Amino acid sequence: MTIPLLLLIPLAASGITALARGRRALELIHILSALAGFTASLLLAAGVLANGQTSWGNGFLFADHLSALVVLLTAFVYLACAPYAIGYFRTDRINQAFGPDEDGSVQLAKIRKYYVLTPLFAFSMFLVALSNNLGVMWVALEGTTLTSIFLVTFYGRPTSLEAAWKYAMIGGAGLSMALFGTILTYYAAGQVLGTESLSALNWSVLAGSASKFDHTVMRLAFILILLGYGTKAGLAPMHTWKPDAYSEAPAPVAALMAAAVLNCALYGVARFYVLTVRCLGPSFASQLLILFGILSIAIAVPFILVQRSYRRLLAYSSIDHGGIMVLGLGFGGALGPLGMLLHMTFHSVTKPLLFFCAGNAQQQTGNDSLRRTPGGLLHSLPVSGPVFLLATLAVTGTPPFSLFQSEFTILRAGIAAQHVGLSILFVTLLVAIFAGFFYHIAQLVLGPPSDYPQGETCRWKTYPVIGLCALVLLLGFWLPAPLYSLISGAAGVLAVHP
Amino acid sequence: MTFWQDPQFGARMITLMAALVLVLQITMVAQRWLVTNIRAFAIQSFLLACIASTIAYYNAATHIYIAATLTLLFKAVLLPVILQRLVSRIEIRQEIEPFVNVPLSVIISGLLTLLAYVVAEPLQAQTSLPGAAGLGRNTLPVAIALFLIGFFMMISRRKAVTQVLALLSLENGLFLAAISLTYGMPLIVELGIFFDVLVAVMILAILVYRIRETFDSMDVSRLSRLKG
Repeated sequence: MTIPLLLLIPLAASGITALARGRRALELIHILSALAGFTASLLLAAGVLANGQTSWGNGFLFADHLSALVVLLTAFVYLACAPYAIGYFRTDRINQAFGPDEDGSVQLAKIRKYYVLTPLFAFSMFLVALSNNLGVMWVALEGTTLTSIFLVTFYGRPTSLEAAWKYAMIGGAGLSMALFGTILTYYAAGQVLGTESLSALNWSVLAGSASKFDHTVMRLAFILILLGYGTKAGLAPMHTWKPDAYSEAPAPVAALMAAAVLNCALYGVARFYVLTVRCLGPSFASQLLILFGILSIAIAVPFILVQRSYRRLLAYSSIDHGGIMVLGLGFGGALGPLGMLLHMTFHSVTKPLLFFCAGNAQQQTGNDSLRRTPGGLLHSLPVSGPVFLLATLAVTGTPPFSLFQSEFTILRAGIAAQHVGLSILFVTLLVAIFAGFFYHIAQLVLGPPSDYPQGETCRWKTYPVIGLCALVLLLGFWLPAPLYSLISGAAGVLAVHP
Repeated sequence: MTFWQDPQFGARMITLMAALVLVLQITMVAQRWLVTNIRAFAIQSFLLACIASTIAYYNAATHIYIAATLTLLFKAVLLPVILQRLVSRIEIRQEIEPFVNVPLSVIISGLLTLLAYVVAEPLQAQTSLPGAAGLGRNTLPVAIALFLIGFFMMISRRKAVTQVLALLSLENGLFLAAISLTYGMPLIVELGIFFDVLVAVMILAILVYRIRETFDSMDVSRLSRLKG
């Protein structure tokens, strides 16, 4: 019963916020829905750990370890963003980000848009991970684009319109390729299973008979799926919408897109990866994944080194991390998928923290420039400033932080799969990214006091930063046993059985 | 058995309509008036609905009828009306001004059609089913051609509305591919896709309107401030 509940909670929250009156009511409902969603995702994960995969509605929705993990991470990011959004929009009101607004009615209309659309956004992401039918999964992924376009145009600046247009067009074209891939998969399955019933597109059915599919069709289907869902995940060279959308959207929306949508898009790739590997053997899919992975990491390097804005810097970091996860999947073996999913988990905890710190810095200083900054954010933001630096170390995979462990696992997978040259290249690129990223953020945070306003503005913005920071530190030393067994179970779904 | 009950007749009709669909797609590339472009899209969608209902008739398949009706309602009537109203409301200049000139665009479309036939060859080889079950399989190259030309239109057009039209005709190509390969997706998926397309067009219409308000133009090549 937790599966339909997970989908109903955000839908109900969105409906109620559309009707609710005051600002406080909106905030309260949003927080409660995020808490309820996270609790339900914990219940789902516990259920899957105890009893294996579950399904609902005649196999229409289903959850195995992989879906449960992605749902858990999505619900977690949603929960982390909920209190932060409250503080973020309250500060926007103080900064008059919405123009002159005497009685707060302009702000109320704006934040109502956020509080109505964000639960729908979360709903689509849950549906991506929970739908068994690959066609419904496509519909849900398209839904994540549609529900977030107006969140990108939130501030109504000319540049946000530009970002939203690119996001809609590139995303739309990419997803149409993925739909073509899905149609081809359905065709390949139909030759074996018959297309009379709905179940011919159900992943749990397809996975069992994928070895009998036609090779030519599956090869074409996987290329189209990788290009399509890769666009949604922001893999190079289809990444160009990402820096624009991430820098124009409000910080909590950018955090949701960077940490949660990325997972959902890669989840789509991973589901088709399993089918392709069972049909064609591992080498074809792996080579493509490694190519796109390395390309994404490599393309992030120059843009990170010469970056002018820290919001865009975070977007390129997200492209880089998408590439790392895809690379892990491509290396395969026993360690590759495990490394990918560990990386996904740690990234989903660390990335929101970075976006929160960046959002706080941006609201404090009024811009997100790396060039015009006099530095010294440390003094004006006594909490978010130092945490920003710490989160930078964490996200670039410095030991002892957890992302180091997952990147090391992927490296070991690469060496085990005898991609020694690629592994060396991988490490070199990571070091370059670390250098550029750390240089920029250190310039911003360290230095003598500057004339920015002093002190954190709103405790709703500070508490999520402190909480997530504690969690990032904790995960560096201790991974809870149930979480690890969920991750390794999910890696088992993706593992290649020759 | 009257002549229209013979699957042979159905196959010929489908081939004829698919050819017209392709001609309309190239018309959209070749001509310069925005309103004509929207009408060409409407007729193309109407023909797709006809192809789908022909296949549904010979196979007695109810769910394809539903898909055909939805195509008729949404893509042949509702979306063109929305787009026409948008165009008249924002009073843009009616010419399309592509990046690539018309003769070259037509040549490129021809080459893309050729490419589509090459790509479809291995997929078609295995599908020589006899009688009603094999209907429409020969439209696959047309579907792939619509898809490729749609992509080309997206990158070669300046105006925001024409990019939306290109995205929609690309989507028409996918509909034809689904019909010709698998007789449509399962109904729930088909419904979801229609819903998504409808919502997407509404959102894009609002975006186009706001771009026009903000930039005093619909030329997307002006959307170039975000770099690096």
